[in-house]
Amino acid sequence: MLIAWIVALMNSIPYSVKTVYSYSQYSLGVTPRGDPLMTPRLIETFRKECPVPIERLVVCRGSTTVVKSIVGDWPFVVFGLSPVDLQYFLKKHFTSSIDGRVPRPGSAEAIVSEPVARNLNLKMGDVLLGPDKTDAYSPVPVKIVGIAQSPEWMILTDLEYHKENHFPPIDVFLVFARNREEQSKLDHWAVDRFKGEHTRLFAYHELEKDTNQMFATLYQILNVVILTLVAVIALMMGMLMNIYQSQRLVEFGLLQAIGYTRRQLLVRSLKETSIVIATGWVLGVVVAHLMLRVAYKVLMEPKAWGLDTLDPTAFAYTLIVPSSILLVGFFTVFHRFRKFDPVSVVERRLV
Amino acid sequence: MIESVGASLVYEDHGREVFACRDVSLSVRPGEFLGILGPSGSGKSSLLYLLSGLKTPSFGAVLYDERDLASMSDEERSRLRRREFGFVFQQPYLLGYLTALENAFVGEPTSARRDEALDLLDRLGLGAKAHRQPHELSGGERQRVCVARALLGEPRVIFADEPTASLDHTNGLQVVGMLNAMRGDGALVMVTHDPSMLERADRVVNLVDGQLVRHGE
Ligand SMILES: Nc1ncnc2c1ncn2[C@@H]1O[C@H](COP(=O)(O)OP(=O)(O)OP(=O)(O)O)[C@@H](O)[C@H]1O
Ligand SMILES: [Mg+2]
Repeated sequence: MLIAWIVALMNSIPYSVKTVYSYSQYSLGVTPRGDPLMTPRLIETFRKECPVPIERLVVCRGSTTVVKSIVGDWPFVVFGLSPVDLQYFLKKHFTSSIDGRVPRPGSAEAIVSEPVARNLNLKMGDVLLGPDKTDAYSPVPVKIVGIAQSPEWMILTDLEYHKENHFPPIDVFLVFARNREEQSKLDHWAVDRFKGEHTRLFAYHELEKDTNQMFATLYQILNVVILTLVAVIALMMGMLMNIYQSQRLVEFGLLQAIGYTRRQLLVRSLKETSIVIATGWVLGVVVAHLMLRVAYKVLMEPKAWGLDTLDPTAFAYTLIVPSSILLVGFFTVFHRFRKFDPVSVVERRLV
Repeated sequence: MIESVGASLVYEDHGREVFACRDVSLSVRPGEFLGILGPSGSGKSSLLYLLSGLKTPSFGAVLYDERDLASMSDEERSRLRRREFGFVFQQPYLLGYLTALENAFVGEPTSARRDEALDLLDRLGLGAKAHRQPHELSGGERQRVCVARALLGEPRVIFADEPTASLDHTNGLQVVGMLNAMRGDGALVMVTHDPSMLERADRVVNLVDGQLVRHGE
């Protein structure tokens, strides 16, 4: 149970990464490095060489702000989009409806998606970016005029406003394919095609790879911790099983004396051990799951953080405990039965 | 039916050999009541374990219907104890989580045996208490449940190791009387240090320091 907790919470970090930046699954972000004049040439290359049909190519601006995560602030992009592109962007990212309205051309206004609003605890009319905010800087206060109902995380402003107020003054662009498979093909092709060139690509699969790598070490540490924990728990439970079996020995001695075979009793004992452990495991997992759900509701959902309460790896981890207890349990049972004399029980030398 | 041929049982006691039984040759005949009489520590229990196959002799052999018990597998010996033998031990051991009735047919939990067990308890005067837990029974009542357990399935031999040790004299005599009356065609081998319990025995052998001293045959 404890282990399911630790693992689920640990997993929630990379899971959150993937949730927060999930929008990038539907496009490839491209920025020229160093030379803003490269942009048209890069666009040209995409138009000519891209192996899958491009649904739309959106030239825009981008700057960064932060969102809150379990492990501190994470950078998040503020896009500056032209009115038509902004409409397209919202639709492409599953916006079902908008509370309020989209930013007016040229004005310091922003629209954020619902998870972002929840994460930053923002309402309509609140200031999203401003001159007094170091992490979310803008020379003029930017007010929220709309909240988009979408599961994806988005912060969008008007292109004209963005050009006037944000650094760097570089045109970037987003390349959208028609669907996720084609997008993935496009992303892989682009990463390969522009290797070594002065371009920076933002592809979802790269993000995924980086995240996984980042957490690989953490997971190794986690594994060591869990293994130690498992060893301790298994040993403890094994000892408990041992005590329990010792008590049952009187019963088994009597049954063996009146004619049960050793094998029958062994099977019975192992069966009981297994049932006890299996029940314990199921109960533990159910309780852990419920507690995770509570934790999610109380602590995480208000900030729109991700947590997979049915995280399969977390529950896979919990399997280690019952299996090792089972192993220790079986071992003790076998050991006890190997040299066991029912006479010592009916003669009352035990107990 | 059961025959021990020069059977000895040796215990290891701090590197010293202790003969619990020494060179015992004894036969149990079908349907008889055989009493084994001896003082404490004379090896009575040990002899009973040898005869019933719960222990294997260190020297000599114990034959059941001409077959050496030691040559049988654990399974075979278990089957014998289950189907052909009945046991009443010194202490009235019952399983605490079962009722008197369930304890009586724990050796073979089938519905036919259940009816038989109920009938046995009835005849032992426990019909009304068949559904009680062991801790709700007196010592004598518990030992009677054990007697029912031993009698279940009409065994060919019933082994009783001081079945009266935990009871007062009257209760003891009553239990022995019931065992004797209800054993049917089965033989009864009973071990005790109290000669008065063996008044109805067909035959009594004396055991002293693990050795037989024959008389009264
Ligand atoms: N497991 C053992 N290890 C060593 N010696 C033993 C063991 N069991 C019995 N003995 C010895 O063997 C001898 C016979 O023991 P046994 O239990 O057969 O006696 P008993 O006649 O049944 O006595 P009681 O009437 O007190 O039950 C005793 O001297 C005892 O000390
Ligand atoms: Mg004894």
